[in-house]
Amino acid sequence: MALNRRQFLTGGLAVAATSMGLTACGGGSGGGGSSDGTADLQFAWWGNEVRNKNTAAAIDAYTKANPKVKVSPQPGEFATYWDKLATQTAGNKAPDIIQMDMAYIAEYGKRKALLDLEKYGADVSKFVEGSVDSGRIDGKLVGVNAGINTPALMANPKVFEKAGVKMPDDKTWTWDQLREVSAEITAKAGGGIVGIGQLFNDAMLSAFLRQHGKELFTESGLGFEAADVVPWFDMLVAFGKAKAIPAASVITEEIAKSLDQQALATGKSAMYMYWSNQVEALNKASGAEMVVLRFPSVSGKATDRKAWYKASMLWSASSRTKYPEEAVKMINWWVNSPECANINLAERGVPPNTEMLAAVKPKLSPAQTAVAKFIEDIKPELANTPIAPPPGGGKIGDIMARQQSDVLFGRTSPADAATKFVDEAKSNLK
Amino acid sequence: MSVVSELSHIHVDHPKSAEARRAQRKAAGRDNKAGYLFLLPWLVGLVVITIIPLVASLYLSFTDYSLIEAPTWTGLDNYARMIDDARLHKSLEVTFIYVIVSVPLQLALALGVAMLLNQGMRGLAFYRSVFYLPSMLGASVAIALLWRQMFGTDGLVNTVLRLFGLDATTGWISDPKYALGTLILLHVWTFGSPMVIFLAGLRQIPAMYYEAAAVDGATRWHRFAKITLPLLSPIIFFNLVLQIIGAFQSFTQAHVVSNGTGAPSDSTLFYTLYLYQRGFGEFEMGYAAAMAWLLVVIVGAATAINFFASKYWVFYDD
Amino acid sequence: MTDLTARTELEPPPTPVGVTVAPASSRGGAARSVLKHLMLIAGALLMVYPVVWMLVSSLRPTEVIFRTPGLWLNDVYLDNYTGGWTALANPFGHYMLNSAIVVIGAIIGNLLSCSLAAYAFARLQFRLKTLWFSIMLVTIMLPIHVVVVPQYILFNRLGWVDTFIPLILPKFLATDAFFVFLMVQFIRGIPRELDEAARIDGCNHWQIFSRMMIPLMIPALATTAIFTFIWTWSDYFTPLIYLTDPDSYTVPVALRSFLDSTSGSNWGAMFAMSIVSLVPIFLAFLFGQRFLVRGIATTGGK
Repeated sequence: MALNRRQFLTGGLAVAATSMGLTACGGGSGGGGSSDGTADLQFAWWGNEVRNKNTAAAIDAYTKANPKVKVSPQPGEFATYWDKLATQTAGNKAPDIIQMDMAYIAEYGKRKALLDLEKYGADVSKFVEGSVDSGRIDGKLVGVNAGINTPALMANPKVFEKAGVKMPDDKTWTWDQLREVSAEITAKAGGGIVGIGQLFNDAMLSAFLRQHGKELFTESGLGFEAADVVPWFDMLVAFGKAKAIPAASVITEEIAKSLDQQALATGKSAMYMYWSNQVEALNKASGAEMVVLRFPSVSGKATDRKAWYKASMLWSASSRTKYPEEAVKMINWWVNSPECANINLAERGVPPNTEMLAAVKPKLSPAQTAVAKFIEDIKPELANTPIAPPPGGGKIGDIMARQQSDVLFGRTSPADAATKFVDEAKSNLK
Repeated sequence: MSVVSELSHIHVDHPKSAEARRAQRKAAGRDNKAGYLFLLPWLVGLVVITIIPLVASLYLSFTDYSLIEAPTWTGLDNYARMIDDARLHKSLEVTFIYVIVSVPLQLALALGVAMLLNQGMRGLAFYRSVFYLPSMLGASVAIALLWRQMFGTDGLVNTVLRLFGLDATTGWISDPKYALGTLILLHVWTFGSPMVIFLAGLRQIPAMYYEAAAVDGATRWHRFAKITLPLLSPIIFFNLVLQIIGAFQSFTQAHVVSNGTGAPSDSTLFYTLYLYQRGFGEFEMGYAAAMAWLLVVIVGAATAINFFASKYWVFYDD
Repeated sequence: MTDLTARTELEPPPTPVGVTVAPASSRGGAARSVLKHLMLIAGALLMVYPVVWMLVSSLRPTEVIFRTPGLWLNDVYLDNYTGGWTALANPFGHYMLNSAIVVIGAIIGNLLSCSLAAYAFARLQFRLKTLWFSIMLVTIMLPIHVVVVPQYILFNRLGWVDTFIPLILPKFLATDAFFVFLMVQFIRGIPRELDEAARIDGCNHWQIFSRMMIPLMIPALATTAIFTFIWTWSDYFTPLIYLTDPDSYTVPVALRSFLDSTSGSNWGAMFAMSIVSLVPIFLAFLFGQRFLVRGIATTGGK
C-alpha cells in the first residue's frame, strides 16, 4: 500500500475537516470599511452605574458630531464580560471597539484578534511617559491606555466610626496589622459587618509576591513557585481565623455580585480591595466618601511596597472589524478630546494624555481629586511595572479563588493548595 | 415498542435458497425511489448535521484550535492532557455523582407516586397535572434562577428555616458540600415526566394477576416484587437509559446557578460546563472536542452496560 | 404486543385494568384513603410551592421578597413587571418575539421533515432500511456536545453565527429523531388496509401520504408540535453559543443576562420576567396536556 493506514486515516479526517473549510481564517488585516465614513460600530465595555452613564453620554456626543457613524453600545459586567467576548470573537462577531484589560490583552493580541491601531492612525503622542507600552503586544499597539489607576484598599469611614476604630496609618502598616485592624472592626461593629471584604485576589497576590522579590509573571511564564505562595495561603487562614474576612460561602457569593451590591457599597465591610478609579462608583453606591489607603508592606515602610501604575483598561479594536479607520478615529477622540475627557473625567482612571489631565483637573470631584493626588503621591513607592499576563494567564485570579475557597472551607491545607494552584496556573499557560 | 426494545429486537430475516434471497432483495427494494425521496431531508441532516461534524470533531480532537487561528496538529496531546487535568477529573466526579444519585432518586419517586395514584382514586387527573408541571418548567432558565434565589444565603429556604427557629446561615449554593445537592434536588423535582410513563404502564398490568396473587395470600411486597416490577421492567429500563443519557449532558441548571463558573470550588462543574469553559471561554476547541469524544465513550459505555444488564432483569412478554 | 389504540386512552376506563385491589375492611380503607390524599396534597403543595412563591414574589418589591416566604399578598406591586419589561436594552417582548420566531420555525421544520421520514420508515420498503432505522435510533442517544463544535465552525464559515439559522435549519432536516420515532410508532397503529384501499384507487405514495396519512396523524403531529414548542422555548445552550448580538437573544438567554446587567440584584424584576417567560410553557401545557401524556405513553410503553 502506498499509504499506510494511519496516514490514510489522518488524511481522510483532514479531508473531512477541510470540507468544512478549516483553513486559516485570515485575520489581522481588518475589513475594507467604507470610503465615505459611514460606519456601524459595536462598542463593548464593562462597567458600573456611573461608568455606564458616562459612556452613554460620550457615545451620544460622538455620534452627534459624527452623524454618519452609528454606535451600538454593549454594556456588561466584568465577571461575565470575558466569556462573552471569547464567544463573540470565536464567532467572528467581536465588537468593533473593545474595552480591554491587561489580564487578557496578551491572550487576544497574540492570537491576532486585535487591530494594529497605529496602522490606522492611533494618536498617542500626548500620553505621559510609560503609559503607552502596556498596550503593545509583539511590537504592535493593540490597546490604547484608557486611564491610569493603581491598586488600593478602599475604606469606609462611616463603618470605622460605627466600630469605634481609628483609621489606620497606611504608610506604616504591615499585613499583620491590617489583619488586626480588620479583626477588631469585625468584633466591635456587629451586625454582620467584617473588617475587610475582599483582599485575597490576584492584584494583592502580585503585591505580596513583589514584596518577596518575585513576580506573578515573567517573560518565560509563571514568576513564582509553590513555596512562594504557601505564606499567602497561611495568611488567608490567619485572616479567616481572626474573622478579619467574611465566611467562605459569603466570599463565593460576593465574587458574582456587581459593585453596587458588594459588601463595601452596602456597608457590610469597612475595607475592600478595589482599583483607585472605582472610588467614584463606590461613593455613589454607598453614599459615603471612601478613603483611599495604600496596601500594606511586609516591612512597614510604604516605600517598600512595590506599588505600580496600571493601565486600568485599554481601548482595542477587533482585527476583523469592517470599519478599522472609523474605529480608530473614535478611540482617538475618546482619549484625546477635551469633550470626552470632560464627560468621563477620571472614572476609568487618570487620563494618560497629559493635556486632558490638565483640562479635567479642576473639574474633578473631591474624591477623584484625592485619587489623582494619591497617584502622584505614591511615585516614590513604585517599582517596575508588572508585565501583562501571557495567554492563558488571565484566569489566574479564578484559579486562585477556587483554591482559596477550598482552604477556607477546610477541604485542603495551605501547602496542598499552593501546589495545586501553581500546577494549574502553569498548565493553563499556552 | 419503545426505542430501546426496538433496538433489542431488530433482526433481519435470512432466507436460505438463492431464489428466495433474490425475491427478498427485490421486495426490499420495492419502494426504493419513493423511500429515499421521503427520507431525503433526514439523510441530508444526518450527513451534514451529524456525520460530518462527528468526523470533523474527531479530527479536531487531535489539534490545537483556537477558532481565531487555523488548527495545528498536536496528535494525542489533548488526550494525554486529560489524564493530568485535575479539573477534568473533578468534573467527571461531579457529573457521575449527579447521574448516580439523581436518576435513581427521581425514578424511584416517580414510580412510588405513580403507584399511589394508580389506585382508582378521585382527582387523578388533577394530581397528575400538578406533578407533571414541574418537569415541563424544570429545564427553563427561569426555574434555575428561582433555585438560585431559593438556596442563596438569604433565600427562601433559609427564610423558612429561620421561621422554624433554626439557625439557617448556610448559603446552600455557595457551600461546596451542598451546592450539587441543590441541583440534584432540582432534577428530582421534575419526576412528573417519568411518573406519567409509569402510570401508563401500570394501567397495562391486568388486574387479574393481582387478584390471583391476593387469593394465593401474597403480601403487598410480594405483589410489588413479583408482578409490578417485572411487568413494568421494560418501561423502567427505557426511562433509566434515557434519563442517564440526559443527565450526563446536563448544562443549563449548572450554568445558571453557578454563573457559569462551577462554583463553589468546582462542586457544580458539570462535564459539559467544563467543556464549554475550555472551548468557548479559553479558545481550546481542540481540547473541547477531545472532551466531547470522551463523553460519547462514557455515555456509550453506560448505555451498553444498561443493555447488557437488562437481560437479567427486564422481562418482555412478547 | 398490545394494540396501540388501547394505549391512547388514558382516562380511567369503566373497569380499571391495572388497578390494585385494596383490602376489604371499609373503615381501614377509608382512613388509608384519607391519609393517602393528605400525603398527595402535601406533596403537590410542596412541588408547586416554589413556582407559586415566585409568582407572588414578582408582585412584591425586591426587599420584601427576601423577607417574605409566605404566599399572602398584601399589596399588588406591579413595578417589577413594568420595570423588568424595560430593564434590558429592548422591551422584553422583543426577546419573546425572537423566541417565537425560532419556535415557529422549529415546529414547522419538525412537522415537515419528521413526518416524511416517519412515513418512509413505517410504510415503505427500501434497501438498507433497517440500517438507517438503527442509525436513527442511535442518534436519539448521541450527546449533542460531540457535534456542537464542528457544527459551530460550519455555521461560522457560512456566516450564519448570530442568526437564527443554526437554531431552525436542523429542524427541517429531521435532526430531532425522537419525533421521527414517535410518528413511526403512531403510523404503525394505522391499519394498512387504508393504504391498500388508496393504492387500489390509483394513489401514489405522495398522495397517500399527504391526503390520507397526514390527517390521520394529527394526534402525533400535535404531540410533536407541543413538545417542540416547549423544548425549543426553553432551549438555552444553542442560543447561548450562536446568538452573540444581545438584540437577537431568545428568552432564556435574555433572562440570564438580567443577572449581567447592573440591575443584577433586581430579583423582583427578574422574577416578573421569569413568570412572563414561563407563561407560554404553562399555556402549552394546559392545552396540550392530553397530547403530551398520550405521546409519552406511546413511546414509553413496551
